[in-house]
Amino acid sequence: MNKINVRQTGVIIVMCIFANKILLMPSLMYEQTSADSIFVLITLFLLDLAMLPIFIWLKNSYPDKKFYDILKDKLGVVITKIIYLALLCFFFFKCLLVFSITYVYFKQQIYHNEFIFMALIAFLPVINHAVLCGVRTFARTIQLFFGIVIAGFIICLIISLFTPIAAPYFFVSNASQFFSSLYNHVFSFGDFIILFLIMDRIEIKKGQAKHLYFYSLFAMFLVVTLFYLFYAKYQITAFMHNNALADLLVFSVQFNAIGRLDIIAMLTIMFITLFQMEIFNYAFCDCFVNIFPLLNKNYSVVVFDVLFCILYYVFIGRYETMVTSTLFWLPYLAIVINYILPLVMVLILIIRRRGEKKNKSNL
Amino acid sequence: MKRKIKVIFKMPMMIILIIILLFFTPFAIYSPGENRNRGVVTALGIDRLGSEYEISLLTFIPTANQSYQEKSSVISGKGASVAEAVYNAQIAMGRAVGLAHAKTTVVNEDLLNEDVTSTIDYLSRVASLPENTVFICTNKSAKEMLESSHDLVNNLGLKLEQIVGYNASNLYVTDTSLEAFYKGYYSPTKSSLIGYLTIEDDANKSEENSEISQAQNTSEGQSEGTQGSSNSSSGSSGAQGKHIVNQGEAVLLKEGKKVAHLDVDQLNGINLLNPKSVNQIVTIDDVEKNGQTLSMQYKIKTKKTLITTKFENNVPIFVAHLILGVELVEINGTHENLKVNTEFSEVSKEIADKIEAKIKEQFTASLKVLRECDTDVIGLARTFFFNNRKEFMKFVEELGGKEEVDKFIDYVVFKLNTVIQPD
Repeated sequence: MNKINVRQTGVIIVMCIFANKILLMPSLMYEQTSADSIFVLITLFLLDLAMLPIFIWLKNSYPDKKFYDILKDKLGVVITKIIYLALLCFFFFKCLLVFSITYVYFKQQIYHNEFIFMALIAFLPVINHAVLCGVRTFARTIQLFFGIVIAGFIICLIISLFTPIAAPYFFVSNASQFFSSLYNHVFSFGDFIILFLIMDRIEIKKGQAKHLYFYSLFAMFLVVTLFYLFYAKYQITAFMHNNALADLLVFSVQFNAIGRLDIIAMLTIMFITLFQMEIFNYAFCDCFVNIFPLLNKNYSVVVFDVLFCILYYVFIGRYETMVTSTLFWLPYLAIVINYILPLVMVLILIIRRRGEKKNKSNL
Repeated sequence: MKRKIKVIFKMPMMIILIIILLFFTPFAIYSPGENRNRGVVTALGIDRLGSEYEISLLTFIPTANQSYQEKSSVISGKGASVAEAVYNAQIAMGRAVGLAHAKTTVVNEDLLNEDVTSTIDYLSRVASLPENTVFICTNKSAKEMLESSHDLVNNLGLKLEQIVGYNASNLYVTDTSLEAFYKGYYSPTKSSLIGYLTIEDDANKSEENSEISQAQNTSEGQSEGTQGSSNSSSGSSGAQGKHIVNQGEAVLLKEGKKVAHLDVDQLNGINLLNPKSVNQIVTIDDVEKNGQTLSMQYKIKTKKTLITTKFENNVPIFVAHLILGVELVEINGTHENLKVNTEFSEVSKEIADKIEAKIKEQFTASLKVLRECDTDVIGLARTFFFNNRKEFMKFVEELGGKEEVDKFIDYVVFKLNTVIQPD
């Protein structure tokens, strides 16, 4: 009953792929690898995309089983809880990063003198409500606004074409810069992990898996286009512009006279951020409930809110600290979650297949 | 009804909505209007007065009126640093400074004697000065420029950024925004170009005019052509008797410091390779036509450029094929009996050679300035890097590494092949 179809899964993937990549990341990457950041981005996307067939294989092998139960059966309770604790931290920090980047953006654009709790009060109740209503509810909400979000995104890209752009220089970074950039930005990827957590809620009928590839490739294409246009427009000063999607609209002399075109970017970013936070909050709560089975979702939501406020305001609220953390120590966590966990799942699936073959031959 | 209300209040989202409304509504009601706390700055001027900075703000204060006329005024503040000067300007204005709508930023020429980014840095990074602001320089104080522009708006409805609008699209190789300045500043050659407007006293102007009229009287009917165009507003009331003059000039900057002042001819020379830059007037003298010696003026109406680059024996060669569509616009000389015939629309070989010689002369003169200052605002290094990366990198290494890339322009051999044809 409370299941989502493949299209709703697709829109969730699109929102996750946009997460942390459309505002700050292009300029952060440019500092390290100039326009070659596009190759870093494509490489990370390809690594991410490799997770999708693993997920589909797992889903086909265990159609109605929870991810937690699969891990518990194969790896035992303790290891499963450790993995879920890592996942909980992973999604919590992702949510925190999404919020802090968007908060700084809106503070620059509109709310110069507003304080953080005003933003938290506006965001937290909505995302908490979405989590309590369940994955189907927020997936349908995202589906409802999906067209508007994508239209806003594409308009931002198109408007940038009316300003002078020149092809950026490629192949200016060395291998060391390339790989260190891969490492530093890996935390902002791993967008398909959410699918593993909600795999028991997803309904994929025969032949529908291709839709997931379509949505993923579509979102990746939009992000790569954004990077390309951003670098083509700003080139050497790309490192100065921290809000890529919005800056494509704002910083053009031609459109200076028209007025506040940036409202398109603001609305798009607002919706995307809200949906991303809902998804990550849901993932956090799901992990929390599985780690502490005696506590229900209401507790998990409260824990999330308290932790969020404390960590944001007391420690990570300093924007630079948050961004530096995602570049230097959070990538360790991301490598475990993004690459080691799917590999473990592949091993589980291979062992299962061998077991099935053995059983068949014994019969 | 009671049941319906109960059902509505049972929805958790409704309770959340009410909580949010309860929280935000008092804030919204009791918060004063944004214009009471924040002054909207439409133009910004920066001056250096000895060891102090003076920040002038052309502010627009939104008030209700029936004439739809903006009430704006120039407010300034001084301080040992830009931040302090802005702070003092805020105190003078009684409002916080909002620079998001600052469409023009003017700096005094003296500020360009040192790296201007140290002055601008605070404004663009901290004070949210948008990078698409038109960034220009003036000969006198920026404050006077803003005061004069205030009069321009009141008398003609002409805004400061509109005055340089034509220059930006036709004369400068890039637009004259802060973003374009930064692009040049952070480029390997560290060179940029910004617009230049002068302020003249009405008293001086009237003296000059009287001199000109005297000269005209003594030259017995010979027409005196003014050099360059001057888009000026003398404003009847006048901001302390001063007015803005736009002669299409620009300032060449290297590492944020002024290295040369370019007039409109030099800018036209630089723009020879810029296909977007058209409408320049080329004057050729001593043209023999029907037994008469004429001075003819042609307008470049269309321009097509094909640029190729190569290295021959480790020498960078820049080859530009230019197809210029020209139109005869004026003939000067003793031509009382001359009729304007279609024959003049044809471009004879003699005229084509003369036009070619003239534009090449202009280009050479401009190139000389760029070479003397080691500034590459025409993007030579970029073009070679794009087209011949391997040879270019080798050449730059031989020059002394990336730090010396700005000297690359000195070694480039230019070959211009021009085709002059009637438009």
